This record gives sequence, structure tokens and C-alpha cells, in this order.
Amino acid sequence: MKHLKRALHAFFLRLETLLEAGFGPRLNPLTQLGTLGWYLFWIVVASGIYVYVFFDTGVTQAWQSLERMGRVQPYAGGIMRSLHRYASDALVVVVLVHAVREFAMDRMRGNRWFPWLTGVPLLWFLYVSGITGYWLVWDRLAQFVAVETTQWLDALGIFAEPIARNFLDEQTLSGRFFTLMVYMHIAVPLMMLLAMWIHIQRHAHARVNPPRGLAVGTLAALVLLSLAWPAVSQPPADLDSVPARLGFDWFYLAVYRLLPHLGGATLWALLIGGSLLLAALPWLPPLRKGAPARVDLANCNGCARCFADCPFGAITMVPRTDGLPYEQQAEVHADLCMSCGICVGACPTATPFRRASALVAGIELPDRPLAGLREEVTAATTRLEGPGRIVVFHCAHDATDAALADASTAVVGLPCVGQVPPPFIDWILSRRLAEGVFLSGCSAHDCYERLGDRWTEQRIAGTRDPRLRDRVPKSSIALHWANASRRQSVAAALDRFRDRVRHPAVVAGTASAPRVDDTLVSGPGPRPSAWRIALQVGCYAAFVAALGYFATQPAYTALPGDVAVLKLAFSHAGAPLKPCRRHTAQELADLPFAERSATTCERGRWPVRLELDVDGRPRYAGTHEPAGLWNDGPSSAYVPLVLPAGTHRLDVRLRDDGDERRYGYVASREVTLAAGQNFVIEFDANAGGFVFGHARKAGAKEGARP
Amino acid sequence: MTLLEWRDEFRIGIEEVDHEHRALIALINAAHAHGVGADTVEAALGEIYAAITAHFALEEKDMRALNYPSLPAHKTDHESLLDDLREIMEAVADGHAPPETEFGNRLSDWFAVHFRTHDAQLHRFVAGLDPKGGLQP
Repeated sequence: MKHLKRALHAFFLRLETLLEAGFGPRLNPLTQLGTLGWYLFWIVVASGIYVYVFFDTGVTQAWQSLERMGRVQPYAGGIMRSLHRYASDALVVVVLVHAVREFAMDRMRGNRWFPWLTGVPLLWFLYVSGITGYWLVWDRLAQFVAVETTQWLDALGIFAEPIARNFLDEQTLSGRFFTLMVYMHIAVPLMMLLAMWIHIQRHAHARVNPPRGLAVGTLAALVLLSLAWPAVSQPPADLDSVPARLGFDWFYLAVYRLLPHLGGATLWALLIGGSLLLAALPWLPPLRKGAPARVDLANCNGCARCFADCPFGAITMVPRTDGLPYEQQAEVHADLCMSCGICVGACPTATPFRRASALVAGIELPDRPLAGLREEVTAATTRLEGPGRIVVFHCAHDATDAALADASTAVVGLPCVGQVPPPFIDWILSRRLAEGVFLSGCSAHDCYERLGDRWTEQRIAGTRDPRLRDRVPKSSIALHWANASRRQSVAAALDRFRDRVRHPAVVAGTASAPRVDDTLVSGPGPRPSAWRIALQVGCYAAFVAALGYFATQPAYTALPGDVAVLKLAFSHAGAPLKPCRRHTAQELADLPFAERSATTCERGRWPVRLELDVDGRPRYAGTHEPAGLWNDGPSSAYVPLVLPAGTHRLDVRLRDDGDERRYGYVASREVTLAAGQNFVIEFDANAGGFVFGHARKAGAKEGARP
Repeated sequence: MTLLEWRDEFRIGIEEVDHEHRALIALINAAHAHGVGADTVEAALGEIYAAITAHFALEEKDMRALNYPSLPAHKTDHESLLDDLREIMEAVADGHAPPETEFGNRLSDWFAVHFRTHDAQLHRFVAGLDPKGGLQP
């Protein structure tokens, strides 16, 4: 597990660096998976609403209405339907990669368990939404999904009668179950939206919209895919035959591929057990947890800057408790605090210029107090020599480490660069402790502590409090975001920065301080824009090509060509364990008036025994217990069997009265099964016993059923 | 000799802000009274700088909570004082600049003007006398 995580971690860092080369840090799709998920969700909702306008809810109309919509208005309905499918598939990819990446980057531990835990039901909602969607089309794939899903649900054993009997064959099919699917397909995504909202509740300034460039690119790629390769239905469903070869959406339906190998019950156990394990991951060792930030009331006037900057909503402003005439004070919720120190960087009392009083900020990290930080910087800078002296502040997750320290470079580690209060930079430069301050964080737009990079940039650019003083020369400050896989890039950026610090003339000459962007030493060097665009287009193309391909290919062979499916089914109440008898006159007289009835029956019925021989050999024998708390309900059965195509002698027997000497119902028939045929033998006591195949239709017409 | 004296007309009407104003004036007066060597002045200035920074943070939060329309101008004035203060601190730290009179006068001048203009305007807004907060209609 540890090795897997380490390998995944390295993989995602490399991939991030690679994608950043094409997309730049702002549009890097790997750091926007969450927002892309939201975005794709909205595309699916919008296209779904459009398709629903033209969709007829009905067993035969459903397929026809979609087919007609695609034919009559390929430019609108056709695209919308394709968008609906492909955006849903893309959502699966984005959500799964998002989950694996958050795991690999170790962002679900300790107090960050909340989004992880709430993400687990989201996976279920996502799959249920997709599967019910495929159901609605009522084509061959929908038929496969309906039959397999109901059989699979029956393996749970929570239904009194097998719900797969709803899809026995064409003749028993009713629109009722199907209408339920329409409601499910609307209700589950709504629940998913609610769960998505809950998912991000503990994140301050949660991002839910991707940057425009990425949004436009994604939508354009999906629309092009929809035009090039429209999503269409497979032939209409026909329950009298079993679909053999199916275009298969591997994003949503891959789990059905496992069903025949594992069996329904095992698969449920795996999925439910897997989900529970997934949900428990944040609490599995190794647990890491720093001491939570602590408020020092003597230095807190309730200015709420820490509250505004905390990425995890761990700080609230509460009424003053120490009697001073302030309205509020900050309060840290230890069970939400990630000990990142971004609050310390926001505190106005965190200035190193304090000499008379002890340097204690209004909010402090017990593990990394500011007074210690000031001492460390003082000590480290005293021994720096020569021109180009630089202090590097770096975080716990970036590419920098203590090895960068040399005669002219001091390296100071912090949980997050967001912990550096801007007055510290002012102090270092104005007191000439060093000529440059280099802030190195883990990843642009994907800070491990969520907002450390954003707040640091804004504080230094002077757009967010606490602002770095205008008169501090911005050319003496560099911000560098690079994940841990890019050690060389940090060393190179540091060298470039040192050059700049030593030869200020290169950038000086402007009266005003350069904007922070100018001083930002970016990750990989600038590349030709054509190359970047090509890489972006390549990524989009590869992504949608994979979407388009795996949405139907490779085809799934659900049934080998030369077999047929025989289904045995019934819902039949066995005989009462004891026959009812008439009340005697005395008994009647003893009964309260309202409870008097002619007969008395004991509750409880005989189980129903069903046996089938094929070509003289026993093929099925089962005892079906009566349903209900008192075992007095009907017994029911749904038994699908695969037989070679051809002519077979079928002998069926049924016993419903516990009389071991005989069978109450016996039938024998020779039938010829075509390849792929779905043949049903149903027991129906009202029709006089076993009914074979389409003979049932005639029976039904005669009104044999009550 | 006291440099600045608290007067009731300085009152803004926000209790915590008035409290800090009084505390700041006391702090500045104390520094002024005791300041002798450059070393002590530097230390005192460091304290004043921290206290003023924190005070401005609080006052700006209150103004934001009140949707005070003149907040940007008011904040700019705050920042210019902080800049001035830092310049004095640098001068003192570098061993030049006549400390006491220089910083004392500059601070008291700034406060006198700031109280008379920006804070008085904020006071009128808080008291409901000027709902536009000094903005021209």
C-alpha cells in the first residue's frame, strides 16, 4: 500500500509537470479535476434536460423518440444526446482520477477526512445515475442492463419476489418498472448534487468552476466528438431474445463484466466492502497530525484576517471572552485545523519588528512559533556571504530542501509558505539580512494546503491583507511553485533569481515596482506557443478519442452464439401447512363479535419444490420458501438457465403441498430453441399449471388469471 | 509632556475602535516620554508599528462590516501612515534621523489630521448623520 501510494504520487507529480508544459499552471487539468467534475455535471444536466423534452416515457416510445430526435435534429438533439453520454463518461474519468490523485497526494488524512468520506457515496450516485440512464434508452444494451441489474439486485435477497421477473419476456413487460427508472434517473443526480455540495462544505473558497480556457476547451472537444461520433441507440430491446454482442460503455458498465465470473452476492460484498474500506482510509495508519493553531488573546483584537484566510474553515470568530472591550476573538477548531500556518501569515501582529515585547502573534503554530522563525532567519542570514545572498522559504511539499543551502543561500522550511507574514519579507530586505527572498511552494493552483499559493501571491502583489508594503522592491522577491518532482527546476530558478538580485539593473529602471507576475519565476522555461497549443490539442484529442472508443468498444459478448436462455419462473402460494377448518358453534360464541369468522386457518404454507430435467438429466431442483414474516406469502422463483440451441426434452415438476410421494403438477414438452432465444416456462396455477413460451399469451388472453 | 491627548470628539462610536485609539495614544505618549537612545526608540517603534497594524486591521474589518463607502480612501491613508512609520523605523535603525521629535511630530500630525478627517467622517457615518459616508451624491 505504501509503495503503491509512493508510485502513484511520483506518477501524478510527473504527469502534472508534463501537462503544465502544455497547459501552463493555471489551466492544468490535473489540478482542476474537482472543478472539471462540477463542470461536466452541469453539461450532463443541461443536455439531459434538453433530451428529456423530447423523450417519451414508454416501453416502445422511448427508443423511437430518441431515434427520431437524432434523425430529425442531428444538429441539436443529436448533439445534446451525444454530449449527455460523453460528458457522463468524462465525469467518470475525472471523478476516478480525482479520487486516486487525492489518495496519492495524501490529502484525505487526519482532519481532511470529510471530503474523502463524503466522496464515497458520490461514486455510488454517479454509477447509479449512469446505469439508470442506459436503462431508459430501451435498446439491446438497456435490456441487458435491466435484466442483469434486476438479477443482481435479487442476489441481495431484500425483495420478497425476484424483481427480475419484471423482465421475463416481452409479454410480461410492463412500463411500470420502467417509469420508476425515469424517476431514479432524475432523483439520483439530484441527490448527487446535494452530496457534491456537502462534499465541499469544509473547504473555504472551494472552487467549483474551471478556468475559462479549460472550460471552453473541454466543451469544444466534447462537441467535436459528438459531431464526429454521435452517440446512438443499439437495436430496440426484444426480451424474447438475449442480446449476444453489445456495444459496451466500459466507463459505467465494466462492473457487469465481472458479474458472470463472481456472481451477484460476491460482487455486492466486494463493492460494499470496498466502499467501506475506502471510507475508512483516512483513519488507517500512518496518521500524521500537527498541533492545531493556538490563539493568543493578548495579541488578538478580533480583526478576522486569519478567519478570512483559513483554507479549511477551522477558524470562527466568536464573542470576546476575556473582558476586553473587543467584540470578537478568533477560535480554532482543533478537529478542522491542518496546522498549515496560513493563519499566522495573515495575522497583523506577526511582525518581526517587535523588540520590546515577545514576538507572539495573535495566532500561532505551537510547532513552528514565529519567535523561533525570526531567530532561525537571523542566525541563518548572519553566516551568509558575498553578493546575491538569498533567504529561501519553502514548504513541506515542494521541490526545495535543505540541500540548496550554501554560503549565500539560507533555507528555511515551513509547513506552507503561506505562513510567512509579509512583514518578515520587509524585515529581511530592509534590514539587509539578505538581498533576495525566494518563496518556494508546492504547486501553483494546487497548493497542498489549498490556498497557500493564492494568498501568498495576493499578499505580495498588494491585493490581499496583510499586504506587503508597496515600497519593498518586488524585484527582490521571487515566487516559485514546483512540485517535489522538479528539483532541477528550483535550482535553476534560484540561479536566475540570484542573477537578477546581483544585477538589479536588468529589471530596474522602472520607477514603479514590477508586478508580481514579472517577478514570478515560473516552472519550466517558456516554450514556443505553437508547441504548447499542439500539446493541448493533443491532450484534448487523446481524451475524447478514448471517451468515444470506450463508450462502445470493445464489444462485449454477453452470450456465446450457439446457446439459448431458458427461464423458469413462478409466483405461487403453497398449500397451507394445515387445512383451514370451520369454527364450531361454541368457538364462534366464544369469539368477540368483531372477530367471528366461519373458518380458522393457521398461518404458514408449504414451500414450493420445482424440478427440471433436460433431455432426461436433472438440470434444476430447488425448494422455494414462502415469503413473509409468518411464512404465509407466496413462494416465487426466477431461474435463468443457459442451454445449447437445438431441440430438447423438458420435464418440469412442481410440488406445493409437502407430499413427498408425488408432484402436484407435471409437464413435459419437446421444444426447439434457436440460438439467442429467450424461452420462458412459467408456472401459473390459475392457467392450470406450467405454461411454455408464447403459449402463455393465449392463456392470458383467455383470462385464466384472476 | 504628552504628545497627543485623547479627546471625546475623537470618538468613532465603535467601542473596540475607540478603545484601541485610546490605547494607541497612550502607547505613543509613553514611547515619546521614555525614548532616549536609538535602541529604545527602535524597540518602541516596533511595538507601535505592530499595534497600529493590528488596529488598522480591526478598524478596516469594522468598516467593511458596515459597508462603509469611503473605506478605500480611509485604508489608503492607513497605508501611507504605515509606510511613513516604516521609513522612520529604517532611518532610526540605520542610525541617522533625529529620533524623538521627528517621529513624535510626524505621528501626532498624522493622527491629528486623520482623526479630524477620515475618522470624523466615519463617526458621522456610524452615527447615521451621513449615510453616504462622505461620498459625493
